[in-house]
Amino acid sequence: MENNDTAKQAKQNEKRAQAKAKMKAQEEKLKGLGDLYNGKMYMKHREWRGFKDTAYDFFRWLITMKDLMVFVARAPRRITKAMFNYRWLCSYLSSPAFIDRHSMGLRGSALRVLHLQYNAMIKNTTKLMATTFKADKRFGKNKLSEKVVLFDEMMPMHIMAGFPNLIGIPAQVAAVFQCSVMDQNSMIPYLDAIENYGLPADVCPLPACEAAVAIMDEYPKMGKCYISSSMPCDGSVMASSYQNRYYNIPTFPLVFPVRYMDESAEDYAVEEIKKAIAFIEENTGEKFDWDAFFTCMGRYNEETKLEMNKWEINKTDCPQVTGATLAMYRMYSFLISASRDPLFLKVSKKVDKIITKANQSGEKCSKEQRHRAVLWSPPAHYYEHYSLWAENCWGINVLVDMESLVATKMFSTTDKEQALKDVAYTYERMTMRRHTNGGYVNVLDELWRVCKEFNADMVLMLEGVSCKTMAGLKGLFDEQARERGIHLVWVEHDLMDPRTVSRKSMRESLNRYMTTVLREEPVDPTLVDFDDELVW
Amino acid sequence: MKDLKHMIYFEKLLEDAHNELVVKAQEEGGLAIGYTCFHMPELLLNLDKCFSLRLRAPKTTSLEISTYYMSNYVCEFCRAILERSIEGGYNFLDGIAAVDACAQMNRCVENISIQKLIDKDKFFMSHIDVPYKVDDNGIQHYTNQVRLRVLDEMSKLGVDTSDEAIKKALDIHNEVCAIITEIGDFRKEKEVRVTGHEFHILNLITYTCPKALIVDMLRETLEEIKARTPDDKKWRARVVLVGSEIDDPALTEMIEDTGALIVADRFCFGSFPGRQQMHLVEGEDVLTCICRQYLEQSQCPRYMSEDKIQQRYDMVDGYAKEYNADGIIYEQIKFCDYWGYERAMASHVMQNEFGYQVLSIDRPYISKSSSGQLRTRVQAFIESIEIKKINNSKGAKRNGK
Repeated sequence: MENNDTAKQAKQNEKRAQAKAKMKAQEEKLKGLGDLYNGKMYMKHREWRGFKDTAYDFFRWLITMKDLMVFVARAPRRITKAMFNYRWLCSYLSSPAFIDRHSMGLRGSALRVLHLQYNAMIKNTTKLMATTFKADKRFGKNKLSEKVVLFDEMMPMHIMAGFPNLIGIPAQVAAVFQCSVMDQNSMIPYLDAIENYGLPADVCPLPACEAAVAIMDEYPKMGKCYISSSMPCDGSVMASSYQNRYYNIPTFPLVFPVRYMDESAEDYAVEEIKKAIAFIEENTGEKFDWDAFFTCMGRYNEETKLEMNKWEINKTDCPQVTGATLAMYRMYSFLISASRDPLFLKVSKKVDKIITKANQSGEKCSKEQRHRAVLWSPPAHYYEHYSLWAENCWGINVLVDMESLVATKMFSTTDKEQALKDVAYTYERMTMRRHTNGGYVNVLDELWRVCKEFNADMVLMLEGVSCKTMAGLKGLFDEQARERGIHLVWVEHDLMDPRTVSRKSMRESLNRYMTTVLREEPVDPTLVDFDDELVW
Repeated sequence: MKDLKHMIYFEKLLEDAHNELVVKAQEEGGLAIGYTCFHMPELLLNLDKCFSLRLRAPKTTSLEISTYYMSNYVCEFCRAILERSIEGGYNFLDGIAAVDACAQMNRCVENISIQKLIDKDKFFMSHIDVPYKVDDNGIQHYTNQVRLRVLDEMSKLGVDTSDEAIKKALDIHNEVCAIITEIGDFRKEKEVRVTGHEFHILNLITYTCPKALIVDMLRETLEEIKARTPDDKKWRARVVLVGSEIDDPALTEMIEDTGALIVADRFCFGSFPGRQQMHLVEGEDVLTCICRQYLEQSQCPRYMSEDKIQQRYDMVDGYAKEYNADGIIYEQIKFCDYWGYERAMASHVMQNEFGYQVLSIDRPYISKSSSGQLRTRVQAFIESIEIKKINNSKGAKRNGK
């Protein structure tokens, strides 16, 4: 009996040892984040972040799934129909993976901040999309459509705060902007279609896709009127002619001076805002409600203060909110919600508490902090999380980026005329436009000012190959960076077309610089080269 | 047809931005003001002792240095202007009156400014903001911009910018426009008295030389054309040429070599718009009146309002009808965003809604660099027009039977 027991125990011990060895081998093999990629659309498994953080991350994943289910439950029949009508809609199935990509490597406060902010974006988008499909005349007549005022997606919608009984919908956000961030391949069929239509392949893919969705008849059809926009660049100006033709509803081009720094241009901009308000009133029968507007702008002021505090914290030696989160959240709260959704203020307050505490306690936002960087030029939509990769792979903390740095002027909440001036001022300095319009000082000189303010030693210059406004200053960026001793790394991309410059090629640009110029070793060697061509 | 007396001289003038008439005008105390776009009111750059020069970069070959500064994805016209500036080709200018109408040209002149490429004493560079739509608010804004950013700068050089000076400049401007319009009207005739290529050269001269020094020669040329015996040459098709900058006469020559007569020129540096006479309206401020007409005449695709979009299509349709065109060629310099979008959309609209045969092409700034490809495209287009004509006549015969 004893012999049998001993033999059994020995066998069990052997099995345990084998299992341990296997686990150890697996652990050794899966030491880095790059090992999670397996060349397929999805990861090998979720990232292990320690018990507490993994549990939190999984909990947030469940919340995302819940939000998606709530979205479908809002208009199940119409959303099902939309699935079969709009090719782009399928990309939203990858929403949880989108958040996973943007949270890789994050721990503690940084992880919590990321999830809070992204969840606000998901909630806002799903609400917006459900409303869109409910108002879509393609799926049957409805009264909701009569309440919709369509806006160009690049036009901030603050003035809609004065029309509480109407619904302002950024026309292209769901089909183009958000979709292209969710799934790197989502815009390829549209780019092919518009090039086949005759549009040159060298134009910026964002307005090209906006035009493409129109010619492919894949926008939800709705709305009483449409506010088109010249923002932020020449491509957007031109894509608006495709939208006008497609929607075929009363359209008001809300345009602002390109040279907005010129004080003599202010009156023109204010007059445009007044005309836009009058246009909406005329077409909807609604009256501009100043009280509602001022309430909302009070919220905007609070949000702006909190956003500025984020930047202040990032200027310290212990930055807290780095990478794509900065721009993405700002884009949603400022541009799309335009402070009309109270959720963003609630989340911003929570985030502010977390990052202030983390900053005071000296909590690091990433594993290693080797370089303080500024990200300039518009990032690739198909690789929004590029800066997070740079942080995980090379210890480069992106402290601020061009897209986040929009106007921060506080709105008057008592004086009507001043409030309109504030709207005009803010619109002129909206996402991207603040830098690409108004002369080189706003983008070239501004970069060096930002570098100094954030004490940055590196600039990740995300060069959209078809962004001619930025390309026109390429040589001057190079020369002036050299004069200032700032590491300026050019990373080519094609905004929404990963076929032109793949994610892998974008990584190679930085890898080359880090190994040849700076001669550094990666923080996580598994992230230097991996295959994510098929990943959403 | 008999060669026009001054044509060779005109062609020679076009070989250099700093041509002998510019030199002469400057020697006589004139101030050369360069500009790059229709949105800078040409008329107002010809006040008092100033004369306007629409910037070109003839004989451009390598764009290497400007490509370093602006990348190879930027419009070649903008890069060529920068390259020529770097080479010192515009050092004779007394000022550049720029417009922020297209981002790429704006970056080009910003490069000239930041790099201090033109270091002539008292040289000025100004930018004006151009509205995206034409309404009272836009006209007022545009007029203010012209007054503050252009006329005030010119005043600093001792230039008279009064209403009287504007009226004086208007006289010679209108005279040149009247001559060019009269010459252009010959293109409506069935039998050709002036080719599109010849007209292109005559028109380019008016943009790139001091008007006072060419008006007599233009007048003489008009008389010559009036007396000219039309050519026996059988043109295979008549086309309207629409699109972005064409300051290279080799392109119009190449198109006409294939047998397509260019009967109307709706492109930047063309006569539509640009060579229509301007009129003052009683009771309206002189400057505002001139600025308003520039905005109203402009057919640049950057205008977003529906009325202007429709105006662009209607105008092209009008030219095609008035000048008896068989087809329309939409062209665009590579990397031009405005005309890239317009060309794509308009080529469908003009074909499907207006019923024209349309060729849509993008091209380099200097057409010689891809003349083979362009020639093939145009030849194929002409053949398609001819085939359609044959089919139509067969159809007509069948119907007649």
